[in-house]
Amino acid sequence: MPHQCVKCNKLIEDGSKSLLTGCDSCGGKFFFFIKKEHLEEAEEKLDELSAREKENLEKDIFEMIGYEEDKPVILDFESIRALSPGKFEVDIRHLFQREPLIYKLADGKYIIDLDSTFELRKKK
Amino acid sequence: MIKRFKDFLAGIFLAFKNKKHIKLGIYGPPNAGKTRLANRICQDWLGEEMGKVSPIPHETREIQQKEKVTVQSNGKKLSFNLIDTPGIATRIDYEEFIKKGIDKKEAQTRAKEATKGVIEAIKWLDNMDAVLVVLDSTKNPYDQVNITIIGNLAARNIPVMILGNKVDLKKANLKKIESAFPQYKVLGISAEYGDNVEQFYKELFKLVK
Repeated sequence: MPHQCVKCNKLIEDGSKSLLTGCDSCGGKFFFFIKKEHLEEAEEKLDELSAREKENLEKDIFEMIGYEEDKPVILDFESIRALSPGKFEVDIRHLFQREPLIYKLADGKYIIDLDSTFELRKKK
Repeated sequence: MIKRFKDFLAGIFLAFKNKKHIKLGIYGPPNAGKTRLANRICQDWLGEEMGKVSPIPHETREIQQKEKVTVQSNGKKLSFNLIDTPGIATRIDYEEFIKKGIDKKEAQTRAKEATKGVIEAIKWLDNMDAVLVVLDSTKNPYDQVNITIIGNLAARNIPVMILGNKVDLKKANLKKIESAFPQYKVLGISAEYGDNVEQFYKELFKLVK
């Protein structure tokens, strides 16, 4: 029985690794099981759903199974990424490893806290 | 020669001083009940509170310290400086605070201070002699923050006790915390209602030897 990604409609073969790791084209984690004889019909039906409807469908199922999607924050070399005023991502691995305190403000814009960097070097 | 002797005496004095002032840190994710626990300890042994608690995450955004807290259990005494730290998080979003009724400007300031608090809390880890990791026992313990905190404490050889707080709540699942961190002592408590707090004080003597 093939599978179809709820998000991007991609057909995935039975037993594929993507069913465990997520769709290899969009990362989606929800799949429809489709009987071979209903393959064409299923593809059409899924196309009828808008992106919003698909999103809500996923959200409902996440809520039903009590799954909270909380992906780990892994930044490049910066410790703090300012996404917008009042929205920050913190890579705590960098901070725990006493790496220089670097703030990313936007692509290509960084602030390096030299004071704390030298302080950390003394401790190392 | 005299200078060397002075340095030697200063060294002994410092070692003695450090030994006397054990630093016990309280770490964990936001809203796990760290300040609630700090208040419980301070109320029990000093008769005063340490900090304000709130259902809004990141209420504690600066390091709080209470010096010379003396706990007694089984006729023994244990003195330490208690340090309550801001909650460690990987995502800080002011919109989360707006949902709890704070206005936009205040929420954005809170987010900024909370981010600074995370940096401070981690910096202070170098000063700690022992750490209490407070987790919310109603939440999933397999979380980047919990795993990173506990892993780093182990790497620095800092003694750790994990406290599964909020065991008074129906959703509490202490077994899940125990299976997530099997190599650690996990104790279920309710900092708010005092469940198992006596046992916690006993365990504290084993943690801070």
